[in-house]
Amino acid sequence: MRAALDLQFSLSFTVPKNMAASVSFRREFCSLARIFSGFSHLGPRAVFACSAHRKCNIIRSHLPVISSSSFHTGTVFLSAPSLITVTEEPDTLLQRVSLLVKGHDQAVLDSYEFFTTMAAKELGININKVYEPPKDMERLTVLKSVHIFKKHRVQYEMRTHYRCIELSHLTGSTAQVFLEYVQRNLPEGLAMEVTKTAMEKVPDHILEPMWKENPAEDGPNDVLLLDMLPLNFPSKAVGGDLQSL
Amino acid sequence: MASHTSKAFLSLGRLNIAGLGLNNSASRVTYAAALSTNSPKGDKGFPQRNGRGPVRKPRREPGEPRTEKMPLDQDWTAVYPAAAPFRPSSVPLPVRMGYPVKGGVPPEKKGNLELIKIPNFLHLTPAAIKKHCEALKPFCTEWPSALDSDAKCDELFPIKVESTDFVSAGQSVRNPSARIVHLKVKLSSFNLDKHAQRKMLKLVGERYNKDTDTLTIRADSCPLRQQNQDYAMYLLTVLYHESWKTEAWEDEKTVADMEEYSWEDSPSQKNMLNVLVRMKVAGEGKGEVREQLLGIKEVQEYKDSVTRLKNEGESESTMLQYKEAVKKVLDL
Repeated sequence: MRAALDLQFSLSFTVPKNMAASVSFRREFCSLARIFSGFSHLGPRAVFACSAHRKCNIIRSHLPVISSSSFHTGTVFLSAPSLITVTEEPDTLLQRVSLLVKGHDQAVLDSYEFFTTMAAKELGININKVYEPPKDMERLTVLKSVHIFKKHRVQYEMRTHYRCIELSHLTGSTAQVFLEYVQRNLPEGLAMEVTKTAMEKVPDHILEPMWKENPAEDGPNDVLLLDMLPLNFPSKAVGGDLQSL
Repeated sequence: MASHTSKAFLSLGRLNIAGLGLNNSASRVTYAAALSTNSPKGDKGFPQRNGRGPVRKPRREPGEPRTEKMPLDQDWTAVYPAAAPFRPSSVPLPVRMGYPVKGGVPPEKKGNLELIKIPNFLHLTPAAIKKHCEALKPFCTEWPSALDSDAKCDELFPIKVESTDFVSAGQSVRNPSARIVHLKVKLSSFNLDKHAQRKMLKLVGERYNKDTDTLTIRADSCPLRQQNQDYAMYLLTVLYHESWKTEAWEDEKTVADMEEYSWEDSPSQKNMLNVLVRMKVAGEGKGEVREQLLGIKEVQEYKDSVTRLKNEGESESTMLQYKEAVKKVLDL
């Protein structure tokens, strides 16, 4: 009977189906704002929980269920104590995140750039550079008339404007949060490409050559190699182990 | 019995409605007391015959727009909490948009389709962005302060894995180019001896950039990104271990396979020694031993200049060095 409300980062809400009036909209927003203000004093605790080098991955969790009946009366439904989970899995480190936004309208791109840069500043992400690659024009020439009149044509062109925002030194969770926020508020008519450069340590199985124990083996070399490396390819966790090394 | 009476009541009710005419239906439609406006319409059963056609619902006068009632210090995030089309009665700005009439101005915001068509950012004012970011801050983690420069990052984390995500509108959310993974690594961060380095370069071929000493492996053969990442790491591992191995057929390496030019046992050395021996024989009449000739400083200089010329290519400094060396060796 209770509808689960999955609270995403942006405040574009998934309103329960039986509510459509703007009054209830506002009420929901107020109650959600209260929840978020409740989050802010959980922040330092989450950050302190992480060690300096191995950063913990903070994953967002879903808001608990609400009942539509409690909504009508406007009561706050927050029942779970803390909604930020801190895991021990080490956070990925992204050296560069490059956002390339494409659109047909430059004014919309300007506004979106303002929004993205401001959001990055508010969240404490350092912006490398923001620049505008030159626009692309795709032109085509078609016949003006349905039948004959080859000399009379019409030319159309499609202009694609670009904006590139480069951010640097982000952790995986910060990048997730920022990108989800920014992508959910992407206006209609714009497309985005996000290029992430993740940094990784040299894994343990590349530090030393494995032929040191058995030098210069001829013959079934490929078989030996396949034997020694795990058949399920090493996963991204640091310290993927090889049994024989 | 009960059902019969209820049906009778229902039919009575329906008759009543028919008898009352339009009044009931009108009161259902308009909550405000607008019954007074209904009387000129007459009964439902008798539409007006003055050519106005079928009877329409009474038209309400639009109320005062919201913009009149907005205080100056209102919370704008409550007016536009989420992305919404432009509502001229909710935006208290005198916006004009569109192509102006001849001798006129762009049309006003009331009933303006151009303003509705264009995406607006009224829900993303700086105040709204600050609010959102305040709420999002607890979910972010800090960058480790020890890794403040790119050099330190490269030293501790030399392997870079690049991948691209695509966001666009269309019939499908997926983009097949999102599976491509580029793995970039500097070869100086691995421990490779000379033979291993040469073999690695030969194995890798085009993927190595000599200027930046970067090996780039592009993995796109698997359908999922995680699979491509794992495959790229696997390839790197295999390359590393294979380059340390010395196969039996590597002894058959010819001069043509060599990466660098070496002067020992080259035609240049043979020619030079022949020339010098003949010079000595012609000049003084006694034959010098070849090994002694090799030890002469001029011959060493000549060797350096030829090696440099062959390895680095022709340039001002290399040609000059070669010229000086030749002049010294041949006593010109």
